[in-house]
Amino acid sequence: MPMQMLPLRLPAPLLAPTYRGVGPVPRAARVAWQVCLGAAALLLATGVATAQDGLANPHEGNRGAVRAGRALFETRCAECHGADAKGISGPDLTEMFAAGRTDGRVFQTIRAGIAGSIMPSSSAPDDELWAIVSYLKSLGTVSPVEFATGNADQGRQVFTANCAGCHRAGRDGGRLGPDLSRITLSRSRAGMTAAIRDPSDAMRVGYRTVTVVTSDGQRVRGLKKAEDAFSIQIVDTSERLQGYLKADLRAVQDEAESLMPSFGPDRVSDTDLDNLLRFLTSVHEGNGAP
Amino acid sequence: MRVTRLVALTALVAVSGPVGLAAQEPAGGPTQAQLLEGFTDPSRWPTFSGDYSGRRHSPLTQITPENVGRLTPQWTFQSGTMARGRGFETTPLVWDGVLYVTGPNNYAWALDARTGRKFWEYRRELPDDLTYGASAPVNRGFGLLGNQLFMVTLDAHLLAFDRTNGNVLWDVELADYRVGYAATMAPLVVNGKVIVGISGGEYATKGFVDAYDPETGERDWRFYTIPGPDEPGGDTWPYTGVRERGGGGTWATGSYDPELNMLYWGTGNPNPDYYGDDRLGDNLYTASIVALDADTGIIQWHYQFTPHDVNDWDPNHVPVQADIMWEGRSRKVVMVANRNGFFYVLDRVTGELLLGKPFTDTTWARELDDNGRPIVLNDGSKGCLPDYWGGTNFMPPSFDPARGLFFVSARETCATFIPQKPVFEPGRSSSGGTVWVDRDQAYGALRAIDVTTGERRWEFRYPTPSMAGTMSTAAGLVFTGDNEGNFMAFDAETGENLWHYPTGWSIWGTAAITHMLDGKQHVLIPSGTNLTSFALPD
Repeated sequence: MPMQMLPLRLPAPLLAPTYRGVGPVPRAARVAWQVCLGAAALLLATGVATAQDGLANPHEGNRGAVRAGRALFETRCAECHGADAKGISGPDLTEMFAAGRTDGRVFQTIRAGIAGSIMPSSSAPDDELWAIVSYLKSLGTVSPVEFATGNADQGRQVFTANCAGCHRAGRDGGRLGPDLSRITLSRSRAGMTAAIRDPSDAMRVGYRTVTVVTSDGQRVRGLKKAEDAFSIQIVDTSERLQGYLKADLRAVQDEAESLMPSFGPDRVSDTDLDNLLRFLTSVHEGNGAP
Repeated sequence: MRVTRLVALTALVAVSGPVGLAAQEPAGGPTQAQLLEGFTDPSRWPTFSGDYSGRRHSPLTQITPENVGRLTPQWTFQSGTMARGRGFETTPLVWDGVLYVTGPNNYAWALDARTGRKFWEYRRELPDDLTYGASAPVNRGFGLLGNQLFMVTLDAHLLAFDRTNGNVLWDVELADYRVGYAATMAPLVVNGKVIVGISGGEYATKGFVDAYDPETGERDWRFYTIPGPDEPGGDTWPYTGVRERGGGGTWATGSYDPELNMLYWGTGNPNPDYYGDDRLGDNLYTASIVALDADTGIIQWHYQFTPHDVNDWDPNHVPVQADIMWEGRSRKVVMVANRNGFFYVLDRVTGELLLGKPFTDTTWARELDDNGRPIVLNDGSKGCLPDYWGGTNFMPPSFDPARGLFFVSARETCATFIPQKPVFEPGRSSSGGTVWVDRDQAYGALRAIDVTTGERRWEFRYPTPSMAGTMSTAAGLVFTGDNEGNFMAFDAETGENLWHYPTGWSIWGTAAITHMLDGKQHVLIPSGTNLTSFALPD
């Protein structure tokens, strides 16, 4: 991958002491890296994490790094991962921190690439990579303060009664909808509320409602997982994965309405919603997380 | 209809508690009883070998010697991942029109069997300090039970997935990958347990076979392939301090006899591979086959193919079961075409050796003595044995019970072994020397062995040794591949080549599978980054 030379305006604290321009990683940076590795080796010896997991982002909390990282991301990564980082040919990166990735792990993945895939390695200076890490982390993390109120035990009852048929949280739940075990790490309170109150407004790829009508008139409703000009792959409401050749179907009907019903205040009160979000947060805080 | 029901159900569960929509009509995966049925339902390929016998012999007969010449590709799936020249070495599982496929670098997919299109994809975030897993970043397939899939990883973990969406349900460590362990084999689900083996015999490791609870991931039992000093076989390791790094990996999927409730499993080379002076003795149970009680993991019998192996001939082969007539009476047998160049038939109840005869040109030994021990002529220092990849390797063979023929990719090779004392460090390979392979003399062949005599019925030669497994069918066909990338079909009776298709990459370490779909017999072969499905044209 050709290195993109950006007219970067990194904030001063970001430039010093390891970054002085574009080119090979300066010796200071390499030394810093080795020091980090040494620290990580200690972690390794205690079985806590692998070497790269233990690395801390030197620009943690620096808003300038987030801005710089965004600019870098748009030039170098967006072609595959999308300008919004939600993925095109490469994967969606907006929920990886919620899924448990560490700063150090993401840094090392950008540095080394992914063996056997199209994701290349990078020889850009450490600070540029850390800036990209900062940006990606800013996309996919939500302050736990947002979900601090509510009663988790009552929230569990709301979940069991309304959500568990299709969603999993911790060890229990259904398979049709997304796993919600770590969802409040990456979705804001406003986003979660909208998705529960008006799910049809935000159907994601892989979760769009479709009905296929077979040649004998049977209607099968489910979620569209993939489609091309000749075939369609769905998970139907009985959780059955099934592919269909369009030549064998009478119709494929895309639907504007989500398979998930709307849970307005009449079905889930504001208090119940508060409790539910608190419960989902408690799941990844260690209460029943897988 | 379904719309109304969905809304009604949602309303219902809102008042009645945890009974969800999905729980009403589960489209379940195989029960343990259905796994026992093996090939009974021709739409399925539910375990690594298709059924528990390890025969990889399908009852399907739509594709015949007469029409196989018209076999046509239906679709190709591209994994997009490959490392160190190693691509697909997997056996896809087939259930209800869906393929469950693992790939290199611990990728995995659920694919539409009609089109090869993806329902979901999984990729494991692997540490960058893998040991054995970095040198062979492959995977041989899933195990399946109910709605759960099981896959082992290059960092030596066992994962359970939800079959519907690919979500990881649990994740347990088998062993510490940093020492040298890795896992690549396809788990075998038996009696409601997930049976797995381990790789890493090129490092200072100690092999084992494990059984896990499919629901919780808790370990039920572990059988170490190297006994303790006071256990039977312990005296075959007279040197102290060697056992804990003695090798004996278990990295090929075994077979299972439900009637005897016995697992049959190949155990790998002792470590160091080539340098044996530090580990004198026979080194049980390395380079052996072991029979284990499936409920407890307790060893029932063993047979060691290569006592004190110094040629890396780890018999990590699928042990193939059959009930055959032997000297006038029916015997339950288990058969192995071994890396050391011998073909073996053993009584699978008692472990008694019935037959042991070379199926390749072996120069290390030509016969076994009365106790079933090889009469060794050459330890490898003089050259021209099977090389360290062996007379065959882990690629699955197949067995046609109607014809009594065992089909195997034979490798005719020649090498000189130069042992050297290694340094033992956790995470550092300790093969103990080097091997000079004489490639000019090497060739490969598909061979059919008459299992009652060990004699060769026929062969078909290739210019270089093949690493492709075989799959046979009741129609009298044998499917296999070669190092040059041809996927081929042969007449099981005569060995005549009936069809070939150049796939573009070596067919390596895996074999074909077959299943019915929409009234058509499909044959699938993984090759390089591709998985291709074939069927007869309309």
